Amino acid sequence: MLLSALRLLQLSDSALPIGSLAHSFGLETLVDRGLLGARDLPEFFQGYLEEAGALEAVFCRKAFRLARDAGEDFPVEQWVGLNRRLSALRPAREARAASITLGQNFLARIVAVENVAIARRVLEASTSFATSPEIHHSTGFGLVCGAMDFDEDSSIAAYLHQQIASLISACQRLLPLGQTAAARILWDLKPSILRSAERGLHCDEGSAPCFTPLLDWGAMEHPALSTRLFVS
Amino acid sequence: MAHALRADRQGEALAGGRPHRPVESTLALEFDRGPRGQTVLIRNSQQPPLRVVRSFPLADGSALAHLHNVSGGLLGGDALTLSVDVGPAAEVQLTTTGATRVYRPRPAAPAATQRNRICVGEKALLEYVPDVIIPFAGSRFVQETTIELAVGAGLFWWEIVAPGREARGEIFHYEFFEMKLDLLAERQWIAAERLRLAPRERPIQSRARLGPFRYWASFYICRVGLPAADWIRIEQQLREEAGQFASSGPTLWGVSALRAHGIAVRCLATQGRDAIAGLHLLWNAAKRLLYNREAIRPRKVN
Repeated sequence: MLLSALRLLQLSDSALPIGSLAHSFGLETLVDRGLLGARDLPEFFQGYLEEAGALEAVFCRKAFRLARDAGEDFPVEQWVGLNRRLSALRPAREARAASITLGQNFLARIVAVENVAIARRVLEASTSFATSPEIHHSTGFGLVCGAMDFDEDSSIAAYLHQQIASLISACQRLLPLGQTAAARILWDLKPSILRSAERGLHCDEGSAPCFTPLLDWGAMEHPALSTRLFVS
Repeated sequence: MAHALRADRQGEALAGGRPHRPVESTLALEFDRGPRGQTVLIRNSQQPPLRVVRSFPLADGSALAHLHNVSGGLLGGDALTLSVDVGPAAEVQLTTTGATRVYRPRPAAPAATQRNRICVGEKALLEYVPDVIIPFAGSRFVQETTIELAVGAGLFWWEIVAPGREARGEIFHYEFFEMKLDLLAERQWIAAERLRLAPRERPIQSRARLGPFRYWASFYICRVGLPAADWIRIEQQLREEAGQFASSGPTLWGVSALRAHGIAVRCLATQGRDAIAGLHLLWNAAKRLLYNREAIRPRKVN
């Protein structure tokens, strides 16, 4: 039990070398255009968790259950469909690509340190997909946690926690946001993280709502910024 | 003004106890390409309040049809279904005769629902360019749309959502507004939306949602079969196009390639007219890029 907890801590550490610190998912555009300031962040992340966070939690949980319940026959087609559905829900090309890059990097790091058969199989299968391989970070994270038989709710909450930590870290590089203020935001958001993680219990991947048009705009227009700190 | 008076009467009637019987209505339209190349409406099956009176031939061979809701808007419990089949190589433009009004229902009435099932055949084209949707104070609305595109099919599809009846001070006073969209090309998802706006539960003007803006629009531009590299180029061209008029008002335009076969556009605006004007300009630019011809703005009664 303690070993699982330690492993989950490492997987959900935003310092895990998968490249998550290179992405702002559109925040850079919002800051650049004066639409997001340091004072707005608590309210912004609250809304983010209610919408995008809850959506990612639904997909993370679905992937978790696919892996946990798979046994010998992992349903590759369901897995592919799940990731394609999440791609379809992400209108911004760069943010979609960022999520896929992180998902693939995440699985590659895991199979390098632990023999997670399902993760290895998914990575191998992804090379034979008709279109470009789509493994998102949330689904990849859920898949590994399910395959390793971690606690389900802890895994989903840990995924959201690392996602918010990465975004707050991006804000520290974009805004006048000190270490203490950043730590306080993440600390205060923990109940909201748990609520968003729970929402996956009440809806499935076909019905989970998400309304983040301003952030979608930021992610869509990120390629047009003249100077950029972040890849997305 | 006439619309506003009618809307008020609807509101009074609903609040005052005059019984409203929810309606179930289906409008099924089927278009085909005729022997001379002109698209024609070959089947028009309708139950009021949804109606199409006739289709009009346009100069480029496509057919224009106006969607009417003869009751003036959607009432609580109304269940409307729109089914559109565009046959191979046919070209169709659909628009509304005015804004879609979603009225305040009785307290116990279920939400008004609109289900759209759209099939665009091989090398066919559908341009769906409706007016704005206005959810009145207290309204409850659910819209579900499924669009299937065949090989070579094209699509221009937008939706514009207002915050409410602004002139009456109704800004995000509706109870809830749900919209679900599945856009498939060759039976694979290329875009999807699932949104639920419930202003009393979650602030719409959070910076994670609309921020300081009131109107938002989604616009999908598709042509099945174009390679991914072409869509990146078109994304860039449309972004430049949007940049030319985005700077003229407090409106944001986002343009991005979908996972395949198309482009998504997001607009956030403080004024509805800015969103509508920009959508028409982008529609025209995209039509030139994809079909090498101008978009024909639909004729309206008003």
